[in-house]
Amino acid sequence: MSAFEAQLFSEIDKLRVQLLNNVDIIAENQRAVEEISQDEILTQIEGVILGIMTSLSRDEVPILELPNRSSWANISFDSAVGLQMSSEHSVTSIRSDCPSSVTKFAQILKILSVVYRLVQSNSYATKRDIYYNNIQLFGSQRTVDSIIDDISCMLKVPRRSLHVLATSKGLISGDLCYLEEDGTRVDCHSSSAVNIVSSAKFIMIVEKDATFQRLLDDNLCTKLSPCILITGKGVPDVNSRLMVRKLWDTLHIPIFALVDADPHGIEIMCIYKYGSVSMSFEAHSLTVPSVMWLGLLPSDLQRLRVPEDSLIPLTKTDENKLNSLLKRPYLTSQPDWCKEIELMQQSKVKAELQSLSSIAPDFLTNIYLPNKLRYGGWV
Amino acid sequence: MLREIRQVLRLIQLMGKQRKRSSLKNTGAILVLLWTEKGSSHQRLNCTVAAAGSWCFGIEMQTLQADLKKVLLPGVWPCPEPDPEELTAFTDLYGSLKFLLNFQMKNPGHYSSKWQVHVKAFLQMFGLTNAGIRIQLKFKIHGQKSQHDFRAFLISKVALSVRPPLILDVTCSAQPWCDQRGSWCQKGHPVVRERFPLSIPPKAMDQGLFGELSVQIVTLLSPCVLQYPHLPTELSRMQVLVFSPSNVPVSAPSGFFQTLPVDLDYQHLGLDRIHCCSSKASPDDPVHSVVFTVEQENWDDPEREPSHLPVQQSLLVLLFLQHSDPFTSQLTDKMDCELLLELHLEDILSNNRQAVTSALQAELFNTMKALKERKKKREKLQSAAEVIVSSTISIVSSSSNMDFRNACLKHMKVRDTHELSASLRESLWRVSSWKRLPKVGCYSAQVEGQAASNEVVRAEI
Repeated sequence: MSAFEAQLFSEIDKLRVQLLNNVDIIAENQRAVEEISQDEILTQIEGVILGIMTSLSRDEVPILELPNRSSWANISFDSAVGLQMSSEHSVTSIRSDCPSSVTKFAQILKILSVVYRLVQSNSYATKRDIYYNNIQLFGSQRTVDSIIDDISCMLKVPRRSLHVLATSKGLISGDLCYLEEDGTRVDCHSSSAVNIVSSAKFIMIVEKDATFQRLLDDNLCTKLSPCILITGKGVPDVNSRLMVRKLWDTLHIPIFALVDADPHGIEIMCIYKYGSVSMSFEAHSLTVPSVMWLGLLPSDLQRLRVPEDSLIPLTKTDENKLNSLLKRPYLTSQPDWCKEIELMQQSKVKAELQSLSSIAPDFLTNIYLPNKLRYGGWV
Repeated sequence: MLREIRQVLRLIQLMGKQRKRSSLKNTGAILVLLWTEKGSSHQRLNCTVAAAGSWCFGIEMQTLQADLKKVLLPGVWPCPEPDPEELTAFTDLYGSLKFLLNFQMKNPGHYSSKWQVHVKAFLQMFGLTNAGIRIQLKFKIHGQKSQHDFRAFLISKVALSVRPPLILDVTCSAQPWCDQRGSWCQKGHPVVRERFPLSIPPKAMDQGLFGELSVQIVTLLSPCVLQYPHLPTELSRMQVLVFSPSNVPVSAPSGFFQTLPVDLDYQHLGLDRIHCCSSKASPDDPVHSVVFTVEQENWDDPEREPSHLPVQQSLLVLLFLQHSDPFTSQLTDKMDCELLLELHLEDILSNNRQAVTSALQAELFNTMKALKERKKKREKLQSAAEVIVSSTISIVSSSSNMDFRNACLKHMKVRDTHELSASLRESLWRVSSWKRLPKVGCYSAQVEGQAASNEVVRAEI
């Protein structure tokens, strides 16, 4: 490694040592590799059906109980995991004798029967396939997506164990090669999970696709090589989060988030780091609590004297979002993040990463990011 | 005789109205005793009408003046006093008499058993809208005695626009089926509509009927199935009753109502047809209700299980005539107005055909709208049930877990998945159809311990 590279990565290497000292690697690996067998899935589904038969045999109404995935009351925070569903949580009852819920009951049963067949035959289908096979019953793709997550939560199994796939949204590029199960070798150097191989020093999660493309166009992967860039194109889907988690479990290298200096960007970063309320039941396989906030920090806006005409006033919605973020359980353990958020509240302005181009066209990739990484400018 | 009895009831009601008894409770009792004298060689029928209670408060306990009686009851004769024991038995139960009238008819052909049925039906109708009044009907004819008591088990106070509140008998003893569990609401839930005016036809005016005439409709749908929101129901019958301004039943003119079905918009109602099945009123049956049978679209589904047949509901439509004439204040004038109304009722309704038909169409539409909403919910449940059954069968059929399959078949008490499908479907239908949601305002009694019906069994002596 050249002296320049050694200088560039000195702070990152120090961070990595610190992270490795704090992480219980063995326990994490066990959690990461824990999979449910196909027979267990089938047994779980059979249990649901048997429950329905038992109710009917007693002349009772069959009811499905779904953990309430949208209630904060069902969430607890663990700094090593992030947001996770409490062991005691409220449920929503889906009755089969009520016109307002019977359709959902039927939809759940239908998807359970599809999943049963898929798992039994070891085949896979996408959520889209399931929707198009019964458009009249489901009405919208969103319904199918939501029910699949409900089933995953109800049976307490990861969605991938249901043999239902989602169309991937995220993109990845950089110093990373991996082999797919069928032996296909995927080299992320070019452009387009078993045996992940990488010498990357860090991973950078980029909030927006536009920024991701800009960084690729500016050859950031080469300038800051070896590194991996990944984007979920906004709010990340499960696959993107799984990929980040997988990379952390395998490589244990620092993961930085590059998001806009606005409430939405901060929230997206929190999803990668601590998880979401709706997927809290799968937190252990989706969250990466070691994610660091690289930029764009509210304090950067002042420090770099970003021109005022590039700054955007906060709306009422933004202010409400910031208040909500500050109340969330995970931020109380992140005093530096709280300070940044409070700074944004006080200044009453937000900014996109693109605002740095008002300082200089290549400021982001040639000055901002290299300096941030060299001098440990993350929180 | 029935006309005379009606006239007497009208008299009591109007005399009570004159004394503004609207502020008092409309309760009490009436005795109608029809009897023949022992050893009488001629066929003479005597009638005694006695009343007690607050509903006739203020009426002097006196027979009417002879000349007034002659005016109001022209075809009657004086009659001997009835057996005092009969009156004593009545007063023992209901208090001192406030009204007593005896008269005799000389018309042998009137007291056949069919005629007795007409009298009974008339008093039942009277009791329907005067539910606070207990009615005793006694026959003592040629040594044959019988007694009928009419009293309401469940009543409802209904406010009309320009009348004192009605006390309506809303007891419904009809059970949808005879073999189910659960409790049924035995109460009807009256629905009151807006009053609308009726114009008086020239012929009626020529005879002296003036003033303002209007009608207000009250409906009752029975049996009540509000507590079972998913039970299939169907409107199969409609009955129309008409009441005079003094709240005495009058004959619904069959000529008008028989042509009513022609004027209805069946498509708007979602019905196949309505058929008037009442015959014309006869002199022996001067108080006559009109009954319609209602046929739905998709009337008969031969594939329907007998236990899945819809509950047949009947709509009772009560037309309350209201009349006011500032120049009519005397009791005899009011009685005359009522008689004119009755006489010209067919003409009045025909003269206001569009308004009356629209009102009845609206009643049917509102009833059908509620039934359609029920049906829509049922269809949603049925459609989802098919998906539930097919998904469940798919899992059971494809499972290689014998323990699981056997447990499923055992639970549903079937031998194979084919029977399982039918059993699941039936079970789902059962648990959803019989879902009971208690409703405020409904009155339920268990099927086994059902409350007493309206009428005490006749005592044959």
